[in-house]
Amino acid sequence: MEINLRKLQEIQVVELIGDVDASTAPEVQQEILPLAQPNSKLLLDMSQVPYMSSAGLRVLLSLYRQATAQDGKLVLVGLSEDLQDTMSVTGFLDFFATGDTLEAGLAQLKETVA
Amino acid sequence: MRVIETLTVPGTVDSLSKIAEYVKQVATIAELNHKATYKLRLAVDEIATNIITHGYAEAGLTGEIYLRADLDNSRLTLAIEDTGAIYNPDEKAVLQHEYLSQTLETREAGGLGVHLVLASVDEFRYERAGDRNRNIFIMHRNQ
Repeated sequence: MEINLRKLQEIQVVELIGDVDASTAPEVQQEILPLAQPNSKLLLDMSQVPYMSSAGLRVLLSLYRQATAQDGKLVLVGLSEDLQDTMSVTGFLDFFATGDTLEAGLAQLKETVA
Repeated sequence: MRVIETLTVPGTVDSLSKIAEYVKQVATIAELNHKATYKLRLAVDEIATNIITHGYAEAGLTGEIYLRADLDNSRLTLAIEDTGAIYNPDEKAVLQHEYLSQTLETREAGGLGVHLVLASVDEFRYERAGDRNRNIFIMHRNQ
């Protein structure tokens, strides 16, 4: 599992590379949960995540709650059809802001500034 | 039915990637399409994770996970066995409807895996075989 962090102005971009299952989810959770600070804007780029199990959904659930509690914004981009299916069948998809590309995600987060 | 492959791995999270490779391999032999292969992998991964975390680790037990794939003209049958604590996923499935009607703020973290299993494979069942738990996944091949 590879986790790359970078800041684009006020937006924290998190790029995940690899499968998220019960063996990698704890590492992901540990790295990204602290990024949900008061009013923070988080973009999770999942375009290089070919697989995600419920262990990954639980990380997203924690991140969602943390971001909401901190009045932050969270956008997921690059979800494959497989990941979208998993999030849809568990009722997760409706709760998250999503975008097809990094650019679309950044645009969504910038809009919320105004 | 003919047995096409078997795999035995330690019941630890480090084995999950090996199990995933195994599932992909038997799905290829069975000529499942991408979507069916992904869903079978997901279902097997979820149950293997439950075995590792609940059946073994939380119960203070160690043991192996035994996988076996059988193939006939119409379906691929994959069975996972373990010697961990008795763990019947069917009992977890009862509350699923209620669970899905909740918002993300109020949901508990458990239960998601079994829901995904039931939504992913064509048939799923659990049985107790001697001192083993046996979870059976069936994918139809005519898709």
